[in-house]
Amino acid sequence: MIIQVENPVVEVHDLTVSYDKKPVLWNIDFSIGQGQVIGIIGPNGAGKSTLLKSVMGLIDPQSGYVKIFDKGLDDVRGRVSYVPQRESVDWDFPANVMDVVLMGRYKRSGLFGRFNQDDKRIAQESLKKVGMQGFSKRQISQLSGGQQQRVFLARALAQQTDLYLMDEPFAGVDASTEESILQLLMEMAGQGKTILVVHHDLQTAFKYFDWMVMLNTRLIASGPAKDLLNEEIIQETYGGKLPLLSALGNLLKQKDLPIRE
Amino acid sequence: MLQTFLDFFSFSDANVLYVVVGTVLIGMSTAVVGCFSVLRKRSLIGDAIAHAVLPGICIAFILFDTKNPLVLLSGAFVTGWLSIVVIDFIVERSRIKSDAAIGLTLSVFFGVGMLLLTYIQHSGNAAQSGLDRFLFGKAAAIVGQDLKVFAGMSILLLLTVLLFFREFRFIAFDPDFADSIGLPSKRYEILLSSITVLAITVGIQAVGVVLIAALLITPAVAARFWTDDLKVMVVLAAIIGALSNIGGAFISYVAPSMPTGPWIIVFMLFLALLSILFAPKKGLVFKRLRQRNNFKKILEENVLKLMYQLDEQDNGFDKYRPITELMAKRDMGEKMMLNALSRLKKKDLVEEKNQAWLLSKEGLSEGKRMVRLHRLWEVYLTEYLRLPSDHVHETAEAMEHVITPELEKELEVLLNHPEYDPHQSKIPYAD
Repeated sequence: MIIQVENPVVEVHDLTVSYDKKPVLWNIDFSIGQGQVIGIIGPNGAGKSTLLKSVMGLIDPQSGYVKIFDKGLDDVRGRVSYVPQRESVDWDFPANVMDVVLMGRYKRSGLFGRFNQDDKRIAQESLKKVGMQGFSKRQISQLSGGQQQRVFLARALAQQTDLYLMDEPFAGVDASTEESILQLLMEMAGQGKTILVVHHDLQTAFKYFDWMVMLNTRLIASGPAKDLLNEEIIQETYGGKLPLLSALGNLLKQKDLPIRE
Repeated sequence: MLQTFLDFFSFSDANVLYVVVGTVLIGMSTAVVGCFSVLRKRSLIGDAIAHAVLPGICIAFILFDTKNPLVLLSGAFVTGWLSIVVIDFIVERSRIKSDAAIGLTLSVFFGVGMLLLTYIQHSGNAAQSGLDRFLFGKAAAIVGQDLKVFAGMSILLLLTVLLFFREFRFIAFDPDFADSIGLPSKRYEILLSSITVLAITVGIQAVGVVLIAALLITPAVAARFWTDDLKVMVVLAAIIGALSNIGGAFISYVAPSMPTGPWIIVFMLFLALLSILFAPKKGLVFKRLRQRNNFKKILEENVLKLMYQLDEQDNGFDKYRPITELMAKRDMGEKMMLNALSRLKKKDLVEEKNQAWLLSKEGLSEGKRMVRLHRLWEVYLTEYLRLPSDHVHETAEAMEHVITPELEKELEVLLNHPEYDPHQSKIPYAD
């Protein structure tokens, strides 16, 4: 079941992405609407993070395109923020919490300019929203996993955008933090923000998300969460890859053949 | 010796001044650039670049038949950059991992460089003498025009880092996020790689190809021990780089036959060793001291606790007890206990009369606190970890020294102020 929406915030059109010649996403095509918390769900290796990175323009697709607010990414970059996976950075880096959150204010403070009072105030407010007020001077190496995740969220909040792309924001986070992060996301959705969340836990997915995109290297379903809660769709998503698709993918890599003529 | 020292550092010889200023600038710039190499986990690539500049220098010399530093530096810059491209290409396009790619590139480029150098040396070209300086470096021998060029380059490097500090920090920490906000991170990475190649090329003048990696990495590593602030780290690295180079130049001045490069590295390692040992918080000596202090604190708290327990048994809190009585209760060396007691006396936690000991008012409340924490923790373990009551004592012995007043309050509320511990001993609360 793939439901396309009117006036989508994100439109992914026939997107195919490869790593080292081998496709990890096959012809993904879906659209999502405004003001929702949307889950990208699928097993390990389903291409969830790859999809998010492609939307964010960090990976070039082999074919297809992504439109955000009906425009190319470069025209709307100021309206999109990205929360990378927590493990993607070195938390021993010499920096404190404020340094990291202020990165979210970078663009608006000019090339050579310093961060101004407004930037600092917004950064503080963002920390408060994720329950990390009072941590601004703390070394990032001293944070727990959940705190690191919240610092990343605060950095995205400091960007004050309309669309948020979050890669596994609940990974390595304790239950109460997960609860409070979710609360925050729902609040933001209530204010018309759109939040796209990569999530691997099927148990909680149906509880958390308004809309879900089910993925396993190919698109299985995209629609309201309540409509996707059926045995067949879940089985298809988590029941393994399609053998033929995998075989072709491997051939493309081994024989060095192009995926598009 | 002292006279030589004074001669050197008074800079009465203008030549000495030039050499010092030049080497200091070189040391600072390589150290500052090195901070980013280390933080981006690309230190080893620096070593590969260092070896890869040799063929560039040789080719530039063969093509233009000159030792003009700008010409040679350009050659070095080109092959240095080429090595980065080759390494990245190998890693991206093959199954070879980065360590093997670096080793491969390093040795191939260096091999070609040695080949060319040998060819030049046997070509009978009289101008070639001194080219081998690039192999081993000789800080004190950089003079005149060369010095100006290298000093200028160093200043350029330092200014570049100053100007783009925020951007460099940004892409060193989180390049994906930098990309996501539209920062042209590829461009800054290229800039960072370029200044790394340049810093290495310049640094080779001081210490040579083989030792340059140390000039790049050591100051950054040493500086990291002292601080968690990148700005401070960069400044400290620059100071360490500068000091080491002054040291090397000084040795060169005193004993011209001594190799400058290795001496610079020796000074640098000495400063790094100092950092590893004596830096606050992260230094080994500091850690050892902290452990010692913890040991003392635990010992003192144990003595207070045991004196309180004895008082509690007797239900009397005014009895001076001789050391033998204390020793009977807890097995620890007599000397150790006497030391602890005398330290406690200095803190006014115990009073002494005729070699017998009594808790002061503060000591009593501290001993009481220890007993309370111990018993509260035992209750916590039985209730929250479902441990049987004969399994809780050992852990509580350690945790009573760890629990802070804030955690104690939390614990009391959580357990709802229990009256007894799992062994039916009364928990003594503060009055």
